[in-house]
Amino acid sequence: MATQAHSLSYAGCNFLRQRLVLSTLSGRPVKIRKIRARDDNPGLRDFEASFIRLLDKITNGSRIEINQTGTTLYYQPGLLYGGSVEHDCSVLRGIGYYLESLLCLAPFMKHPLKIVLRGVTNDQVDPSVDVLKATALPLLKQFGIDGESFELKIVRRGMPPGGGGEVVFSCPVRKVLKPIQLTDPGKIKRIRGMAYSVRVSPQMANRIVDSARSILNKFIPDIYIYTDHMKGVNSGKSPGFGLSLVAETTSGTFLSAELASNPQGQGAAVLPEDLGRNCARLLLEEIYRGGCVDSTNQSLALLLMTLGQQDVSKVLLGPLSPYTIEFLRHLKSFFQIMFKIETKPCGEELKGGDKVLMTCVGIGFTNLSKTLK
Amino acid sequence: MEAKDQKKHRKKNSGPKAEKKKKRHLQDLQLGDEEDARKRNPKAFAVQSAVRMARSFHRTQDLKTKKHHIPVVDRTPLEPPPIVVVVMGPPKVGKSTLIQCLIRNFTRQKLTEIRGPVTIVSGKKRRLTIIECGCDINMMIDLAKVADLVLMLIDASFGFEMETFEFLNICQVHGFPKIMGVLTHLDSFKHNKQLKKTKKRLKHRFWTEVYPGAKLFYLSGMVHGEYQNQEIHNLGRFITVMKFRPLTWQTSHPYILADRMEDLTNPEDIRTNIKCDRKVSLYGYLRGTHLKNKSQIHMPGIGDFTVSDVSFLPDPCALPEQQKKRCLNEKEKLVYAPLSGVGGVLYDKDAVYVDLGGSHGFQALDEVGSTHELVQSLISTHSTIDAKMASSRVMLFSDSKALGSEDIDNQGLLMPKEEKQMDLKTGRMRRKAVFGDEDGSGDSDDEEGDEMSEDDGLENGSSDEEAVEEENAEVTDECMTAKGVKRRKLEELEEDSEADLPAFADSDDDLERSSAEEGEAEEADESSEEEDCSAGEKGISGSKAVREGSKAELSPANHQRDRVNLEKSLLMKKAALTTSDSGHCTAEEVFASEDESEESSSLSAEEEDSENQEALRKKLLKPSQVGSGQKLGSRNLIDETSDIEDLLKEEEDYKEERNDPTETSGALKWKEDLSRKAAEAFLRQQQAAPNLRKLIYGTVTEDNEEEDDTQEELGGLFRVTQPDRGCKHKADSLDCSRFPVEAPHDWDLEEVMNSIRDCFVTGKWEDDKDAAKVLAEDEELYGDFEDLETGDVHKGKSGPITQNEDVEKEVKEEIDPNEEESAKKKHLDKKRKLKEMFDAEYDEGESTYFDDLKGEMQKQAQMRLKKHRWYKKILKSRDPIIFSVGWRRFQTIPLYYIEDHNGRQRLLKYTPQHMHCGATFWGPITPQGTGFLAIQSVSGIMPDFRIAATGVVLDLDKSIKIVKKLKLTGFPYKIFKNTSFIKGMFNSALEVAKFEGAMIRTVSGIRGQIKKALRAPEGAFRASFEDKLLMSDIVFMRTWYPVSIPAFYNPVTSLLKPVGEKDTWSGMRTTGQLRLAHGIRLKANKDSLYKPILRQKKHFNSLHIPKALQKALPFKNKPKTQAKAGKVPKDRRRPAVVREPHERKILALLDALSTVHSQKMKKAKEQQHLHNKEHFRARQKEEEEKLKRQKDLRKKLFRIQGQKERRNQKSSLKGAEGQLQ
Repeated sequence: MATQAHSLSYAGCNFLRQRLVLSTLSGRPVKIRKIRARDDNPGLRDFEASFIRLLDKITNGSRIEINQTGTTLYYQPGLLYGGSVEHDCSVLRGIGYYLESLLCLAPFMKHPLKIVLRGVTNDQVDPSVDVLKATALPLLKQFGIDGESFELKIVRRGMPPGGGGEVVFSCPVRKVLKPIQLTDPGKIKRIRGMAYSVRVSPQMANRIVDSARSILNKFIPDIYIYTDHMKGVNSGKSPGFGLSLVAETTSGTFLSAELASNPQGQGAAVLPEDLGRNCARLLLEEIYRGGCVDSTNQSLALLLMTLGQQDVSKVLLGPLSPYTIEFLRHLKSFFQIMFKIETKPCGEELKGGDKVLMTCVGIGFTNLSKTLK
Repeated sequence: MEAKDQKKHRKKNSGPKAEKKKKRHLQDLQLGDEEDARKRNPKAFAVQSAVRMARSFHRTQDLKTKKHHIPVVDRTPLEPPPIVVVVMGPPKVGKSTLIQCLIRNFTRQKLTEIRGPVTIVSGKKRRLTIIECGCDINMMIDLAKVADLVLMLIDASFGFEMETFEFLNICQVHGFPKIMGVLTHLDSFKHNKQLKKTKKRLKHRFWTEVYPGAKLFYLSGMVHGEYQNQEIHNLGRFITVMKFRPLTWQTSHPYILADRMEDLTNPEDIRTNIKCDRKVSLYGYLRGTHLKNKSQIHMPGIGDFTVSDVSFLPDPCALPEQQKKRCLNEKEKLVYAPLSGVGGVLYDKDAVYVDLGGSHGFQALDEVGSTHELVQSLISTHSTIDAKMASSRVMLFSDSKALGSEDIDNQGLLMPKEEKQMDLKTGRMRRKAVFGDEDGSGDSDDEEGDEMSEDDGLENGSSDEEAVEEENAEVTDECMTAKGVKRRKLEELEEDSEADLPAFADSDDDLERSSAEEGEAEEADESSEEEDCSAGEKGISGSKAVREGSKAELSPANHQRDRVNLEKSLLMKKAALTTSDSGHCTAEEVFASEDESEESSSLSAEEEDSENQEALRKKLLKPSQVGSGQKLGSRNLIDETSDIEDLLKEEEDYKEERNDPTETSGALKWKEDLSRKAAEAFLRQQQAAPNLRKLIYGTVTEDNEEEDDTQEELGGLFRVTQPDRGCKHKADSLDCSRFPVEAPHDWDLEEVMNSIRDCFVTGKWEDDKDAAKVLAEDEELYGDFEDLETGDVHKGKSGPITQNEDVEKEVKEEIDPNEEESAKKKHLDKKRKLKEMFDAEYDEGESTYFDDLKGEMQKQAQMRLKKHRWYKKILKSRDPIIFSVGWRRFQTIPLYYIEDHNGRQRLLKYTPQHMHCGATFWGPITPQGTGFLAIQSVSGIMPDFRIAATGVVLDLDKSIKIVKKLKLTGFPYKIFKNTSFIKGMFNSALEVAKFEGAMIRTVSGIRGQIKKALRAPEGAFRASFEDKLLMSDIVFMRTWYPVSIPAFYNPVTSLLKPVGEKDTWSGMRTTGQLRLAHGIRLKANKDSLYKPILRQKKHFNSLHIPKALQKALPFKNKPKTQAKAGKVPKDRRRPAVVREPHERKILALLDALSTVHSQKMKKAKEQQHLHNKEHFRARQKEEEEKLKRQKDLRKKLFRIQGQKERRNQKSSLKGAEGQLQ
């Protein structure tokens, strides 16, 4: 009786990460059926299996049941354990895929998490490690997750399809989170960026920088784009280049955009100039969307608001991404929390599109696994 | 003349005003400062000693810092829930009397029988929930967790009792509420002095337990069986003004002290299966924090459940509205105690119950008839507007028969009256039609029914009613050519649509039924019965039950019935925290009335011309008759109005309900239209504003399962695979958090670029932040100095409120009643209702409960535990024990351990006597830092202190490593120098391989190491030691073996026990108890027995030194050939003297004489010694006296000598002076 009411059931492989993450945090078992049931190649993919393995590594006592075809997954979460972990991520997805979930879980471990992730650091699908470092970490700091050991370091860069990158992420443990009031995005005071190139001519990065600057210079003069050319062992297994841009505002919010070159052997070769220009435009799009949290981190911010103390948290967001919308629904089913959502139409001010003000009262989540001594 | 009569104004001489005036007067005289002693007399306050000054300063600072606490966020709502006052004490100490007196003091009402919590309004801003706590340990534990204030009653004539100390200990563990002691039975002291002494003694003992200076109240004696009014008044004052410090556990967890409960289970289900899932609603004030809908809850003494619905209810015991007056008037002194049957109007989400006030109400019913009905209808207007509407219509029908007949004429119906009733199980609305004919046929049957109900229990009775309904339905089907079926179907459809919507039970379903209508109701039953008979399908018992049901409504003797319920009703009537059971009749009433309605509806269906209803419904619905139309219309009304209220909450429901009117739209178009228009207007308004919330939370339902079910089968073998739908596609699409830009802007265009111009620091700033403007403002404010000189004072703008205040303000604004989130916050204190499913099977001992929870609770908690110093025994590992942690009480099997210096957690067999140890058990999650206590048994009466251990939760984990020591032993079978072959320690070479390199040791202390397995005897190995072994040595290896924690969790379901046996819950028994019960004696290990030690005599061989060696030895070490002492030669030996008898006599005489002589001498010597002593003492005395005399003499002499000398000196001085002069 109680168990059935307790467990949640979903269908399809989409949003697998959020379901598992929320399940871990709420302690409610989750059952996911029909994972690519109609597909020619049914069941879980390698990268998903790798993600589940990662969850198993950082938790203690979780129960994972997968049926023979891999189309049904039952996950009963254990306690978040943390500690020193190493994980080889699948090269099908970037490290960002794994890191995003880790960012949600890391503050609530029993022991501070120090994890080495190996795989693809930058690709075209997932938010790259550079972007997460530049946007998600400052966001977590707003919630009181801070300290010396809180860092994300890129040791090696790896591009698809070969991978070979390495990232070290360490995060302290918190018992409770601070509520936030992020309603004023402030004004963009500087734009920083990172143009990287591995196993290609180091000149590529410089060409990207020039083209990106040419567009952004029309808005603000304070632009600095670092070039990062990694050599030898640190350059991974495949060639590639790309750019990530971050705009910082006066009130300490970060908006980001990024682009990476096509993986070797897939699609046409991309000119670095085009890439730089396009990436700059993407940043402008992101600025147009606006908000206090950039579009990739919306769900992270909302999650941490939900898990806050029983106080009111507010955040101003740009238009909600489909991922975030689904995340809100999941938040409702896992934590019974519904956000108050107000649309803030943009007046005559030239500040881009409509914004959304999200408000909620935290559920008073406390880190139960942290040991009391 | 008039002026003379008027009183003269008198100046105030005391009070704040007078003092103020005095001060002002003094200040006018420039003497104001004189008031201050420091200024008046500064010398008195000057620093005398720097050290003392420093010390006094330190002391004050110490005292100050002691008072500091970590600041606590105050989250109490504006109108806080009532304060829980627990009245606790051993039996016969006067708890009930005190509660009665307190209630009388606050409300001027006298409650004779108090059952469960009583809520009263005690002041303008405070309500109290008073609850009595007996000495059942379960109750004590549960109430200590929710108490805000504990009145601890102590029988002064007896002194402290164990219960008091137990309760204090429980309180200490679960957060310490305010505790106030009350001494009673003080009138039993005859002597005043003894009384004083006792008071003092008890006070000081109380202080050591609570805190020094804790308030202890004295109730000096009883007057007419009650405490003295003045004392109770004072006590009441103390309670009303008391301040509370929020307790961490209570403020961080939502909890409800249920003061009322209803069993909403369908009686039929209970009849068919006594162990069916029950649906129970609990009512109470929500305390702590927000309670989420559908959340997991725990009911102490019952178990864990999921809430199926939570809703707000109007406050039954509300605080007075305006608070300008000093004190409450009589009307505002409310009292609410549904379990004791007090409280007047009971509000529910879907019903309002009015207490008609016992026999008095009955009289009125008999005498007045229709006027009473009117009054009742007026009373019923307490209910919501929907209920009002419904009732108004009913009134229209009931008091005008002519109108009813007209209706009948219009519709071709025979039904004069209609009642709306509802099935609480499904939440569906049903109608009852009642014939207006002659009455009084079923009186005898009534009695029968009553008896039956008493026999079988009311629940069964009413469940029978349900059965009859069903039967009736069938019958009517058969009789009336399936008219009823259609009708029924229609209703079922509605039921489906309204499944999760709260239905409205008509508040006045039994009120509107006056004595005049009794007959009608009876008649309805009668007629239905007749039909049943004609059909030939009728259960007699069922019909009886029906009558019983109808009688239940009609009989005004509610109280009696109540009592019946109390006795019969069972198991289920145990509220979460309520201490005593009580059934409330309302639920039963509803059931009873409802089945009537059911019958009549089926009847009406027969009469109705509704054959083609189904068809009509399919097309476009024509109203079948006014009655039903009205009914339906009103139902729609209700639906829609409620809909508007919950629109945001239940979007899906809304959709379904929208279908409802189209399906069943009835006759009263105007009403329906009104409501619909209103709803639509509201909707339009809603839709006009783009509602993201609705978009996000409203369309979550992607029912893929449904899709599967609806798939058609082709030929029973194949299924049509439908192409993936949109959502299906979405379900399997790429899981990525990035938000790709779908329609990128052309950022080369100037206007597009301009659209984000202001996002940059280079763009335009807001007025209040624009540097240029702020600067300009600054200039305006501070730029001019001339003005100041001229005397114009510019007042600076009051600066913007600080950031924090701003936020606070916003947060306050956030509390918007329209939004659910904030509404929750606002109505935190409002009554809430829990609907609850739980399983009657858990009543029995062999529960399936454990299996349910097994999956969820694989958590192990580690705690620091200490045996209570007053508990007589020590605790044993693996003995089941009952823990009270968090809200829960449960039995589990703990393991005790102690942490070694290297962090190893070593299993202990028993808890240490006076030390902390660790304990770990398998059970639910509880946050770290939570206190807990352990008791060995909750059942029976234990003479000693019951709390076995206390402690705190330290850690939660899924795997804890507790180890116990394991020694493996082996024996050498071959010994080389330092190497030995050992056998008997392992069974195989594989095992040996596992332990290669491990340390081993012999009993005699020779250390060694395992080297390698040997082939020959299986499990033997080669080992090297630091010395050569002996064959008699035993080799052992010390290892640590992990212990698994027994997965046993058994919640204490003491409240599921029948009345009177609540304190008899006994869970798993210890092996010791089992042995005792079955008379099995423990077989002692023979080796462990103590036997007398038998030591064999050891024989040592003599030392033999070889001759060669002897020669070589130095003389010193050579064995000396000592010649044995040879025998004395015969000639040397003296012959023995043999005396003659005569000689012997002489010798004996001599002996005797010498003895006498020696005795004499001895005596004489003693005498002499004494004499000497005395003499010596006398001499000493004399000597002393002599010395003293001499001393005195000398003194005298010296004095004289001194005087003489002085005189001489004086004279010589005089002489000199004289000479000088």
